[in-house]
Order: sequence, then structure tokens, then C-alpha cells
Amino acid sequence: MDVDLLFKIAAIGILVAVLHQVLCRAGREEQAMMTTLAGVVIVLTLVIKEISALFNTVRTLFNI
Amino acid sequence: MDEVIKIIGIGLISLIIIIVVKQYKPEFAIYVSIIVGVLILYIIMDKLRGIINLLKTISSKSGINNQFLELLLKITGIAFLAEFAINLCKDSGEGAIASKIEMGSKVIIVSMSIPIISSLLEVILKLI
Repeated sequence: MDVDLLFKIAAIGILVAVLHQVLCRAGREEQAMMTTLAGVVIVLTLVIKEISALFNTVRTLFNI
Repeated sequence: MDEVIKIIGIGLISLIIIIVVKQYKPEFAIYVSIIVGVLILYIIMDKLRGIINLLKTISSKSGINNQFLELLLKITGIAFLAEFAINLCKDSGEGAIASKIEMGSKVIIVSMSIPIISSLLEVILKLI
């Protein structure tokens, strides 16, 4: 729960971008789309976990 | 003092990361900005906890009835989260969604503050 989370997401983003380019060059557009979707889903689950943690702390803090 | 440095550092690092990632995959830039917002809010969370405890002790000592302070804290919490979402939507260019969230949170805040308004009216009527 610190800065490494930031770097993890940046790494996934760049990795997905590179994979997409490589697969497109290799003529496999569907696999490229699949890897992009997989990357998006992974990062989305990570982000949603963090946002729910933030919402819970704010809820307990301001006891909403 | 080191929190300020940490916050500024995280902000600048994420700025660079967003610029780099935006060229290849624009949608990941939004994820990075969300994560940076959450990180910075986490850093100030324990300071906020101290402030709120101070407010509670002051209000309990000074005899103001606790119900208003609880409501004030709830309203600040709602404004805190709504502002987080609103600026995020504005950053990614979605002004319409931002204004909808803003309007929704305002309506909720006003509806929560109805007890305060009614008790204020009662006090005024008693004076007259």
C-alpha cells in the first residue's frame, strides 16, 4: 500500500502496450486484444480494491 | 514535515509516469491518477484522525450537544469523497458526470442538514 503500487500499475500499462504492439506486428490481433483486456482487468481489480479501502477508512473516520 | 515531501514526491513521480504511459495506453493514465489520489489521501488520513479527535474532545468539554458535531463530520466526509470523485471526472474530461456527482452530493448534504435547520428555527422562534 505504498508507492510500489504506483510503479506496478505503470509497469503493467507499459507491458500491455508493448505486448499489444508485438502481437499486432505478428499478425495476431485477437491475442493482442486479449492481453490488453487482461491488463485492464488486472489493474481495475487493483484500483477498485484500493478505492474500497479508502471509502471504508473515510466511513469509519467520519462515521458516516 | 516528511509527509509534505512524500506527497510532493508521489505527485511528481506519478506525473512523469502518466506522461509516459499516456502515449501508449491512455486509459492507464486514469488508473495511475486514481491510485495517486488514494495514496495521498491515505497519507493525510492519520493527521485527519488526530484533528477529528481534537474536535470531539473540545465539543464534549464545551457542552455543545454532540449531535450537531456528528452531523458536521458526516457532511465533511461526504464532501471529502465527492470532491475526490468530481476532480477525477473533470481530469478525464467528463464534466457532465462531475456536475452530476456534485449536484447529488449537494442534495444529500442539504437533506442531512435538515435537523440542524429545524432546531435553528425552533431556537429563533423561542427568542421571538
